[in-house]
Amino acid sequence: MKYEPVIGLEIHVQLNSATKMFCDCPNRPGDEPNRNTCPICLWLPGALPKLSREALQKATLACLALNCTIQQESGFDQKVYYYPDLPKGFQLSQHHKPLARNGWVDIVGEDGRSKRLRIHHIHMEEDVAKLVHEMEGKTPISLVDFNRAGTPLIEIVSEADMRSPDEAMEYVKTLRNQLRYTGSAECSLELGTLRVDANISLRPLGTDEFNTKVEVKNMNSIRNVGDAIAYEITRQTHCLDKGESIVLHTRLWDPEKRMTSPMRSKFSGPCIPDPSVSRIVVSQEWLKEIQGRLPEMPAQKTERFLKVYGLTPEEASNMSLERDLSDFFEAVVKQDISPRKVAGWITTYLIPILRDRNQTMRETFLTPDRFSQLLSMLDKDMINAQSAKEVLLQLLSSDETIEEIVKKGQFQQVSDTTELETVIDRIISEHPSDVEDFRKGNTKVIGFLMGLAMKASQGKANPKLLKEILTKRLDSIVP
Amino acid sequence: MAPEIFTYKNPSPNLFVTNGLLSGKKVLIQPNMSARGWLCDAGSKALKGFVALEDATVIMRIKKEGANLMGSSRMSELSFGLAGDTATQILSSGEADIALITDTMGEARMAAADRGMLGFKPSYGIVSRFGLIGLVPSMECYGIVGKRLEDIIDTLTVISGKDETDPSMPDKGFPDYTDVRKPLKTACTAGVVKDCLDILQEAEQKTFGIELKRLEEMGLTIKEVNFSDFDLFRVVHNIIASVEASSSADKYDGVRYGHRSSSGKNWNEMYLNFRGESFGPLIKPFLFQGAYFQFENYPAFENACRNRHRLVQAMTHLLGQVDLLVFPTRRLDHDAEKANTINRIYDAFLWTLPANVTGQPSLHLPSRALHSEVDVGIQLVGPRLGDPWLLSIGLKLLSTTQGGRIA
Repeated sequence: MKYEPVIGLEIHVQLNSATKMFCDCPNRPGDEPNRNTCPICLWLPGALPKLSREALQKATLACLALNCTIQQESGFDQKVYYYPDLPKGFQLSQHHKPLARNGWVDIVGEDGRSKRLRIHHIHMEEDVAKLVHEMEGKTPISLVDFNRAGTPLIEIVSEADMRSPDEAMEYVKTLRNQLRYTGSAECSLELGTLRVDANISLRPLGTDEFNTKVEVKNMNSIRNVGDAIAYEITRQTHCLDKGESIVLHTRLWDPEKRMTSPMRSKFSGPCIPDPSVSRIVVSQEWLKEIQGRLPEMPAQKTERFLKVYGLTPEEASNMSLERDLSDFFEAVVKQDISPRKVAGWITTYLIPILRDRNQTMRETFLTPDRFSQLLSMLDKDMINAQSAKEVLLQLLSSDETIEEIVKKGQFQQVSDTTELETVIDRIISEHPSDVEDFRKGNTKVIGFLMGLAMKASQGKANPKLLKEILTKRLDSIVP
Repeated sequence: MAPEIFTYKNPSPNLFVTNGLLSGKKVLIQPNMSARGWLCDAGSKALKGFVALEDATVIMRIKKEGANLMGSSRMSELSFGLAGDTATQILSSGEADIALITDTMGEARMAAADRGMLGFKPSYGIVSRFGLIGLVPSMECYGIVGKRLEDIIDTLTVISGKDETDPSMPDKGFPDYTDVRKPLKTACTAGVVKDCLDILQEAEQKTFGIELKRLEEMGLTIKEVNFSDFDLFRVVHNIIASVEASSSADKYDGVRYGHRSSSGKNWNEMYLNFRGESFGPLIKPFLFQGAYFQFENYPAFENACRNRHRLVQAMTHLLGQVDLLVFPTRRLDHDAEKANTINRIYDAFLWTLPANVTGQPSLHLPSRALHSEVDVGIQLVGPRLGDPWLLSIGLKLLSTTQGGRIA
């Protein structure tokens, strides 16, 4: 039988607020263990949780970026479960009254058409402590690190609208980009600031019931999300083909073995409203203020780049994927450089270099000014493309001015005719047989000689001028 | 040897603040109110050895106003009921003038009633709970017990007011105590709930009736009112309080503080053994009951929450007809200190727990009935946040009868 996968995702995103969700401890889970703790996040007797306004604002901004409706009233519940990573016995989460409902993101499907994926709701919750399992000599010990306890999360619960691993990956990518735009979250699967749980079930193609689902956790990259879902679809298909029934349970993705295996599920209990955390009542005024902070989202930006800068759809989409990058792009374009040239240089050279160096733009010395200076030198034939790439590398890692870099590295384009003529004369005299070939009508020789001449000038010759001189010289030799 | 009546006795209570509102007053607290450096075990083995890292907001405020913190009394386990509480014993001995007693279902008022003293439970939310090692967050508050109403008023003035560290407090509407001592001019109607009178025994009816007459003589108009849902208070309190208690006590695991069980092969067993060995015979069934509603009968809990809302509305409605309500405080056949089952505790606190369910202020005054052994007390329940007004009424009643003095 042919089956259709039905996929829904639950995504936890760690907000980048300065403090934890219910106390003033720094929101830096990666610090030295148990450094960022206080009676509130350790839940010592007598402590009371106090909701951080910044966390609420960032959560709201994130919900708005995903087109959700902010609920006028929301509140926190105690999600009861017993595990050493949660010594107070319950996690504060919004079970009954989430912050936002009914959102969506648009993705581009495999067929190239746009598809809208719905979000059921988004709620806030606190993260729990981290368990570290170690050996002390031969005795296994478990340690609890409370740095993460109480850090603010939002959980984005999608509708089961996805039908393939590819759609799920696109959903995560789009959602991640939109959230990053708001500046509320870093959203890194690798660092665990974005965590994806996938619910997967199958149904006979053409039917529309929802069958028993299996939850898959622990995917640490977008690629893994796709692979884990694909694996699970295959596994469930085999089960159904063999006549076995699917049982509701949770599975863990193993990125090394590239397979899922069942995990012991955490005991999960009821949710009762928490009597101590304030209810959240959103006023129209406040909401308006937060809406005002929402930046232009990637889709709108792509549209604008198409119209205003005349970029191709692909260039426009590339230039608006990340907010920092699109700001950079626009700042450079403002310096009167051709938008398509800027987009081309960013896509072809800058992005791959940054990826290689594992750096963000902010971590380098490159500014829009410096980048535009580079492109305008190129425009004015002061340097050639080959040198420009070298200069770009240095603009990233050194704070010297572009003039200093060009001068020090002698990257100036050689446009001195006498100097170029000398080089060409030498090349011609050293390669008589090639000149002979040219005379017999083999024009390909020009390319070969050009290469040699360029090499002799250490790549700094003005290529246009070089070619001109070479052609002139060869023509003059030909009788 | 007599059992120790203090959990912690402060070796140097005098703070030498001479111009504070509570300067020189000897104040006693319970060991579930955080006082920095003091043993705060909330009367439970589950918190054995727990020493508070900082002062509760209330403790900070009374220290600042010059009170001499004498120490902490012994208390019922996790402030559920009054079993084993020594606060009024210490007050009687003269070692303290004012005692703070956690009022979850009427403990402060009941303790006062049992010893012929005055007891007050403020409106919910006007006194910061930060630092209170609580059990039932939505109902409990600091109750104040003493021999002089003046002391209670001063203490309340000091401890009430907005505190940013307790987010469950309202943003505004805090009572203002400046005019508390000015004589009341307006006439006042006190409601007596007919459905309650019907439950009273003959002896209780008699003494309560005498008290009502005296209130009338003092200028209060007494009016009988109906509250057909009155019996819901008990069951609503019982269900919600046990569920909240179960959640609050979840954090006790014997790892960082508290009794550490010597047996157990893994954390799970250690945790179970800790809880089995730590909790006493009264609180344990209460926590079980709460867990039952959490895990097995959640709809009953939701129903209780809905009914609580209805009760609050009904109270508000009643207080549109009368200015305050009058109840007895204690019951003759139900000794709160000796109650040894959940049911008996609820029997004993029947008249006091409604104010905890609705968050209203409530003042217990000792009655001076003819048969002194039949003292059921007088409990005035006022509108939420009407604390100063209710205390003014109390002052007026006391000045009329005894010139402000209690025998």
